[in-house]
Amino acid sequence: MESTALAEPGVQLSIWHLFWQAGWVVKLVMIGLLFASVWTWAIIVDKVVAYQRMRSSLNRFEQVFWSGQSLEELYRGLSDRATTGMSSIFVAAMREWKKSFEKGAKSPLGLQTRIDKAMDLALTREMERLEGRLGFLATIGSAGPFIGLFGTVVGIMTSFQAIAGSKSTSLAVVAPGIAEALLATAIGLLAAIPAVIAYNKLSSDAGKIAVRMEGFADEFSAILSRQIDEKVAQKG
Amino acid sequence: MKAGLTTSVVLHAALLGIGLVTFSAPDPLPPAPESLPVSIIPVEDVAQHDQGDEKAALKERAAPLPTERPDVVADAQKVGENSVDTEAPVTPEAKPRPVETAAAPPPQPKPVEKPKEQEALKPVAEPEPVPATEAAPTPAAKQPVKPDPVKEEPKPQPQPVKQPEPKPAPEPEQQTAAIDPEMTKPDAISEAIDAQPPVEESVALPTSAPAPESRPRPAEAQTAKAPQRKASEKPAKEAASKPKSDSSEESVEDKIATLLNKEKPSGGGAKRSTDAAALGGKKKTGEKLTNSEMGALSDQLGRCWAIPAGAEGGEGMRVSVRFNVSASGKLEGRPEILSSSGNRPFDESAVRAVQKCDRDGLVLPAGKADIWSEVIVNFDPTEMGM
Repeated sequence: MESTALAEPGVQLSIWHLFWQAGWVVKLVMIGLLFASVWTWAIIVDKVVAYQRMRSSLNRFEQVFWSGQSLEELYRGLSDRATTGMSSIFVAAMREWKKSFEKGAKSPLGLQTRIDKAMDLALTREMERLEGRLGFLATIGSAGPFIGLFGTVVGIMTSFQAIAGSKSTSLAVVAPGIAEALLATAIGLLAAIPAVIAYNKLSSDAGKIAVRMEGFADEFSAILSRQIDEKVAQKG
Repeated sequence: MKAGLTTSVVLHAALLGIGLVTFSAPDPLPPAPESLPVSIIPVEDVAQHDQGDEKAALKERAAPLPTERPDVVADAQKVGENSVDTEAPVTPEAKPRPVETAAAPPPQPKPVEKPKEQEALKPVAEPEPVPATEAAPTPAAKQPVKPDPVKEEPKPQPQPVKQPEPKPAPEPEQQTAAIDPEMTKPDAISEAIDAQPPVEESVALPTSAPAPESRPRPAEAQTAKAPQRKASEKPAKEAASKPKSDSSEESVEDKIATLLNKEKPSGGGAKRSTDAAALGGKKKTGEKLTNSEMGALSDQLGRCWAIPAGAEGGEGMRVSVRFNVSASGKLEGRPEILSSSGNRPFDESAVRAVQKCDRDGLVLPAGKADIWSEVIVNFDPTEMGM
């Protein structure tokens, strides 16, 4: 057996050199995974901040809503600015209420349905905004390892072809190529693991927020329904 | 979203930067010890002895007697100074020359006329006490000249019986007495060979001989061997203070001597050994054929083998054949069937395969003649690449 130096002086094994020595397919996979990782983290940061804000706004709104303040006043205060979460549901419901009474809608019977619909719509819109881009995290979480594995398989393939060409089975010949190829899997896992964790956490957070908003919508719907009945009784 | 993206990019850049610095080339492992090729040797190679000298002291490695001349025969099997590889044991005085058997001179039409002294002398010559000369089935008339301890290849001389050999009776006795001590010493002979020049002398001698001169002298026909014998003879005769008139007898002796093979027995083979002699056997017995060598033999025989029709598909058809191979790689004798397959044409086809391969030339691994001498091969269609 011929003796080959274990680590030839020319072979650099730092991450940068591993990347640079890889084939173009492996490079492409690595670059793609790197961008995916960047985007994943961008989404994670964005969502965490957004959910934090949403929770605090929900808290503030609930505080204001149950403070005994008149609904008319609250509506007036909120209607002229951008709203999020519960306040947008509240505004949507109040707008529908106002429209129905100010424009002299004759039948109060359909009003309840219309208000519920308006609130559902607002809720859906809010949830869509909250849960948007979480799908990307799920995709990266499940597909990232596979993409990395693809890069590894291609890298090892080319590595073995090189071994076959060099007609040497020395580990020193095999090792750099395999290390290169494995870097792709490492990057894939690096992107996928936070994505999976963040997806699970964020989707459960979004679910909690949705439950809170649905609860508020039901409650507000009940309040409005009681008011409608009172008005119908006054008229009747 | 913009804030998130920026944060993420910054975070990644920071991580990569740290990674490049921290996770740069890992420390190389300490150099592993050189890997050693390992081959599995059957225990017989060690347990059974190697070729060596039976009388030498025990050493780690057996070695035959060392030789002096450089190797001239490639792949020789037997140790010795010879230029041909022979099976004979090494003899100390062996000449590193092939044994040349002196070709007997063609029987010459002899003149029939005999001098009558021969008749008179013959009864004297016959009762002569001549030991160790029975080997030559020569006619009685020639016997007195024969007592020669040097001759190792007694040849039936195609000389006619009627050859006139006029000899005075006492002379052969004297001659044997004189020659014997000297001839037994090979050194004296070889020295004499070197010192002795002339053939001319022997040519000149017979001028006064009463022997018929018409006979062609074998001395001329012979090559350089003629003077050797004469050299040893000459001092002997002088010591006996033989008169010069006996040249006729000498010439006859010359003639006979020239017919004899003067070569020393040269034993041993042509393989050269440089190691000091160490205890060992005459032959190597510890060697075995390697698997690849067995495979090579099997392939060769398989190519030579034509399985008879009807026996190709026979499951479990198997015949074991034993044959002997000479050192030169030729088949000796007829291959012998050790265990028959029960199908006679099948057995015969295996024997024919061995013979056919022998005609085509079996390729045997060099240096293993001792183990090639007897080979047992199992002929099995499923195992021989059929």
